[in-house]
Amino acid sequence: MTDIHKTIVVTGVGVVSPYGIGLDSLQAGMLAGTSCLAPTKDLYPGFEGTTAQVEARGLALLAEGSSSRYSRTDRLAAVAAQDAVANSGCDSSTFRESGVVMANTVGGLTEIDTGIAQDPAAWFRRRGGLLRGASYPFAHVADAVGEHLGIRGPRCAISVACASGAMAIALTANLLLDGAAPIILAGGSDALCPFTLSGFNSLQALDPAPCCPFDQNRKGLNLGEGSAVLVLETLAGATARKANVLAVLRGWAMTNDAFHPTAPQQQGSGLADCMRLSMEMAGVSGDEIGYVNAHGTGTPLNDIAEAHAYETAFRRRHRPIPVSSTKSYFGHCLGAAGALEAAITIMAIRSGALLPTLRLTDPIESPGVDWLRGEVKRQPLPLAMSVSAGFGGSNTVLIFGSGPA
Amino acid sequence: MTPNSPDVAIAITGIGSVSPYGPIAGLIPPCPLEPSAITAWTSAGLRRAFLVKPFRPASVVPGLKTRRLDRLSVWALVASSLAIKDAAIDLSQIDRSRVAVVFATAFGCVDLTEAFYLSAAANGWSGTDPSTFPETLASAPASHVSLFHGLRGPNITVSNKAFAGESALIQAASLLRHGQADLAVVLAGDALTQTVYEWYEAAGLLAPACYNSDPLPEGGGFMPSEGITALVLEPVGRREARSDARSYARSYARLHSGRWAAGGQPVEIIRQMLGGSVPNLTICTGDGAPCATSPTTALAREIAGDGAVIIPPQAVAAGLAGTGALFHLILALSGRPKSGQALLLGTSSGTTSRTSLGTSSGTAGDRGFAALLLELP
Repeated sequence: MTDIHKTIVVTGVGVVSPYGIGLDSLQAGMLAGTSCLAPTKDLYPGFEGTTAQVEARGLALLAEGSSSRYSRTDRLAAVAAQDAVANSGCDSSTFRESGVVMANTVGGLTEIDTGIAQDPAAWFRRRGGLLRGASYPFAHVADAVGEHLGIRGPRCAISVACASGAMAIALTANLLLDGAAPIILAGGSDALCPFTLSGFNSLQALDPAPCCPFDQNRKGLNLGEGSAVLVLETLAGATARKANVLAVLRGWAMTNDAFHPTAPQQQGSGLADCMRLSMEMAGVSGDEIGYVNAHGTGTPLNDIAEAHAYETAFRRRHRPIPVSSTKSYFGHCLGAAGALEAAITIMAIRSGALLPTLRLTDPIESPGVDWLRGEVKRQPLPLAMSVSAGFGGSNTVLIFGSGPA
Repeated sequence: MTPNSPDVAIAITGIGSVSPYGPIAGLIPPCPLEPSAITAWTSAGLRRAFLVKPFRPASVVPGLKTRRLDRLSVWALVASSLAIKDAAIDLSQIDRSRVAVVFATAFGCVDLTEAFYLSAAANGWSGTDPSTFPETLASAPASHVSLFHGLRGPNITVSNKAFAGESALIQAASLLRHGQADLAVVLAGDALTQTVYEWYEAAGLLAPACYNSDPLPEGGGFMPSEGITALVLEPVGRREARSDARSYARSYARLHSGRWAAGGQPVEIIRQMLGGSVPNLTICTGDGAPCATSPTTALAREIAGDGAVIIPPQAVAAGLAGTGALFHLILALSGRPKSGQALLLGTSSGTTSRTSLGTSSGTAGDRGFAALLLELP
């Protein structure tokens, strides 16, 4: 029997992606098979590659007047959070006592240039330098959301590399069970900037062309930017305020590979453990999961480890598990990726549309996996999984359902 | 920790720190501490701060390799090792997939972030160092702790403008109470760099004593510091049940409850946490302000009157406010408060926030706060 006080539900989803603002624009673009990945030259001198960018005019929300207080990452987050509030069908006064848990990895690095390290005092004396410096800590994104919406519950920022967005949602579920706040806005945000592009480029992790996750000929990832914010609360709270329940967060788990600072454990053991733990929490078997939205970055090391993890976690399943990587549409949005992919997983549950991986022509051989490619597959989807992993071995898995257990 | 938490008592069973007092396992012997003159960067005049003196990590943790790591990662490895040792945990005897790491930081790995910027300035963004980039991530210290100790449970890095340490402790306790880990290593800390110092200076946050050899006055800014704290958290009773535990079982404190918010009425919420009575309450302020002017001290007096014992004066005298609330907690415990007392660790951002970044949040009249109530065995 469902305990409505211990059931976590999603009652709003807000998105800013390279497709625009809102889940509808994301859904329309992805269902049409539109790739937002495009050649990019202007992000720093000498960079030539492929990225997916959010159009600046969509970020006007916090841009006027106090723009220097808010980094591009902050603005992406604030716009997504406002969209989530609007999507929940409530005005912002409903959220006054809410919490905010926002993930990111880039934070205010978007606003900082190399001059800060050469002569910090002079850099801070420049116009707006002090405020731009103040936006550097990754906690600033949670404050930007809280301040913009005027909400005053507990605030926290999460940064665990590419698993950040999903982990923000998992930790929020714990906080809601603890009664830390009646409603919590949880998600992730990250903007493109020279620092991260240069970093991934130096690691030779970037594919100069649009990425091909899970393909035998994959060459690396593309970076994107965006933000997604979910409105999370208990079913008891949602029922009491007659909120529209979009999905149920049935299970969540977090593990660490404890293997290497950047590389995943080759057999995907930490990730497989994470999937197992999330299914145990949800009280479901591998056969009941209808779709997995993969981490699927397109790097040689990640994708093979992830394929091994699916083989392990779903080894008792009777049919291959359907898996796709939606990073093939708009790249890897780092701290926002897990939250955006949670939104896409919820979208799949609600629409019954399983998105294929774009440009997947020669998939990794993995008999236990049904690599979705080609056309959109349509089927009822009561349960779906979203998988995230990151540098430092952090893994997070979320299971969403259309209804309670 | 919060109103609906499952009824699992959590204890602090191990402490480690790397601070201006040096690398220390367990409580910190009370002793006076003087700020250091900063010599690591060119400065027109005297600048002072409480700094971690350089030490050889392998001399504290045999076999520890720290080449190419950010100082914060190095300190996290040392402090976590000291805390695990202090808790008498033999990691080979426990299920390390059930051990969580929760790390709190305001600035993350600023040493190597600045180094990465410098390499970009020197070589262009196309010529940056691949070995530096992963070490600039704020989560790198926590990742190294998991990697070094083989801890495969949840690995989390959190931040919060004023309450990072407290929120880390609350998140870690939540993992234990919900059965998502059996044991947690909680760390909180930051390193001080020239850029961070210059930002404090440009923002007008520093005490006059940063620029002369005067003793620290009450009020009028703060003196920056650096360091990292590690605590081992376990459900009460687990330590006694551990096959690797020594013959005695030690618990520094039990977590009773914890709350934090960006605004609201902290006095009322803290009164609720205390359950209406304040017997033997000791209050430890985590604010960046000296005790006498701390918003938390004012809160404490509102709640407990003049009978409240407010500590740790030695922390304020030593100017260690910037290092974080968990360090203050260690100092408070090191002050040997009486057995059976309740200890309230409070931080308020109403007028002064510890990390002092940006303007204060919340609407007019609200005070952001974090409060942890602990029971002393």
